[in-house]
Amino acid sequence: MVINTPFSKSNAGVLITILLISCLLVLPLLAAVGCDLNDPDRDVKRLFPESTGYKTIYVSVAQKGGEAMLRRIEERLGDKFQGLYETADVPYTMYQIFKGRDLIGYIHGVNQKGTYGGIQVFLAVDLEGLIRGFYFQKLTSQFGKQLRDEAFGRQFTGLNLRDFFNYDVASGTVKGEGKLTAIKNPAPQAEADFRAALRATKKNLILIDEFLLGNKYLQ
Amino acid sequence: MVTQKINIYQVAYKNLLRKKTRSLLTILGIGLSAWVLVSLLGFNQGYEAALNKDIDNMGFQVLVTAKGCPYEAATLMLKGGTGLRYMKESVISDILKHKEVEGITPQLMAAVFDPNRGESGGINAYLGVDPATFPAMKSYLKFKQGGWFTDPNAVEAVVGYEAAELEQREVGDKLLIPEKNVELKVVGVLTRSGTADDGTIFVPLRTVQKIFEKEGLITAAGIKVNKNANMTELENKLYDLPDVQVVSMAQVKTTIMSLVTTAKVMVFSIALIAILIAMLGVINTILMSVFERFQEIGIIKSMGAMPWDVFRMIWTETVILCLLGGGLGIGFSFGLSKITDVLIRRLLPYTPTGSLVIINGSLALLTLGVVVAIGLVSGVYPAWRASRVRPLESIRSEGD
Repeated sequence: MVINTPFSKSNAGVLITILLISCLLVLPLLAAVGCDLNDPDRDVKRLFPESTGYKTIYVSVAQKGGEAMLRRIEERLGDKFQGLYETADVPYTMYQIFKGRDLIGYIHGVNQKGTYGGIQVFLAVDLEGLIRGFYFQKLTSQFGKQLRDEAFGRQFTGLNLRDFFNYDVASGTVKGEGKLTAIKNPAPQAEADFRAALRATKKNLILIDEFLLGNKYLQ
Repeated sequence: MVTQKINIYQVAYKNLLRKKTRSLLTILGIGLSAWVLVSLLGFNQGYEAALNKDIDNMGFQVLVTAKGCPYEAATLMLKGGTGLRYMKESVISDILKHKEVEGITPQLMAAVFDPNRGESGGINAYLGVDPATFPAMKSYLKFKQGGWFTDPNAVEAVVGYEAAELEQREVGDKLLIPEKNVELKVVGVLTRSGTADDGTIFVPLRTVQKIFEKEGLITAAGIKVNKNANMTELENKLYDLPDVQVVSMAQVKTTIMSLVTTAKVMVFSIALIAILIAMLGVINTILMSVFERFQEIGIIKSMGAMPWDVFRMIWTETVILCLLGGGLGIGFSFGLSKITDVLIRRLLPYTPTGSLVIINGSLALLTLGVVVAIGLVSGVYPAWRASRVRPLESIRSEGD
């Protein structure tokens, strides 16, 4: 094969551009791995309007308690940890929220497998572990509008980990009565994503309890 | 009478230990310049290798795309997924007529706005490929799970490694194309290739054409050229096709390398200056040491040391400093190669995937050789000064 091509900036520029586009399409994917707030300054203020600042801490199961802790979390969840976002060395980003010098609450997000892609569920909780804010930072669904509606998130306000004790993540059912039975799925066709949201919430509360609340809700 | 020979090498080594701080700082200075030099030479090797790998991994030697301003298309793409330019699929059969063409694979890029992605939405891109021809062109792509779709009309997807990890997709899972509300079934998940394919979602070409209403249209065609074909001749023929642009991988590589050469020249200059400064530091350190030890050197000479012995002693000190500094710099470069890689990626406008800095044993030895050679040259003057010390004068001057 003889290569004797006259130099042509514009043609080469096309391919450089294609390569650049390819890289740019990849970059957002890479940057989105993990579960940090997209815009912490804005999101913290939205979830805690009275806050004056926040501190970010990074923890992992491997760091804090290793395999034993992982087994305990799985037992509390009622399900095994699976996949890329549920290994012992996954770093969890936890936001401590302050008003002046006083700690007033926490924000934490978790990844969860959804019907059409990864879901990210963020909770804002007070110092007792009561939910004061719930929202989907990432959700791909045909019924995303209904699930992302504030009315859906408001159903979680005031709940704590104790309210999830009788929720079986594997079957998606609540044993007996409890506050969880009041949570309605706004899109029955998106049952899998609704259950994923509940699993993510329970997992989130367990991790907050383990890392921040000193196992206050340990059964 | 007991006589004991003075080992000048031991004297040289012990003298460096007498002024530890000074010696350490000099070694650190040499170490930093050696680090820059090794990293630069490693970048020299690594960049071109990574670029060749990226281009080879495209699987074809020539790319034909629809005619249009490439930068404008890129801007429009980044702004909202519009601006892609198309060409008729019939161009494939026109291209296949040329004897230089071994194979061709059509591609259709489609993009759609996903309101659920990120804060204010984002672009989801899908690459429509022909299952009959594309896998053969990209034989380096291996599967973690599943395999390629075989039905050209299947509503299926093969997901790149990073894309699958981000969306937690496995074989059997579904993907949703927003706006079109079409479900794709994941039939394959690729292993990490270190290329842009890691973030790509591949869909059968006919399926993408149907979903996005682009029947009979494609955005690009990759051409595999026969081994003995004349590339220039083929390109000239392809230029005659209406409304297409022809891009040769060799051209791309030349353009990118010419862009990088400027950066390389600048960095080489900086590295050279850093090394010269470090060497000045060595000269200063050794010269100061010689001036401080005039009397001592005078005594050594009066005890029978020849000028060449003194020269060797001082020169040895220089070599020891350079060896230690060079070793330290090489250690830095091995240990911090990832950081160097990240720094280079931030500075350059385009970097291929894969390692940009390749540091191996021969490179380390070469750098050590260069550092020691420069050190030997730097040490000549101080060693010569020391060898010229007159014993009586030096002893008398200290006593005054």
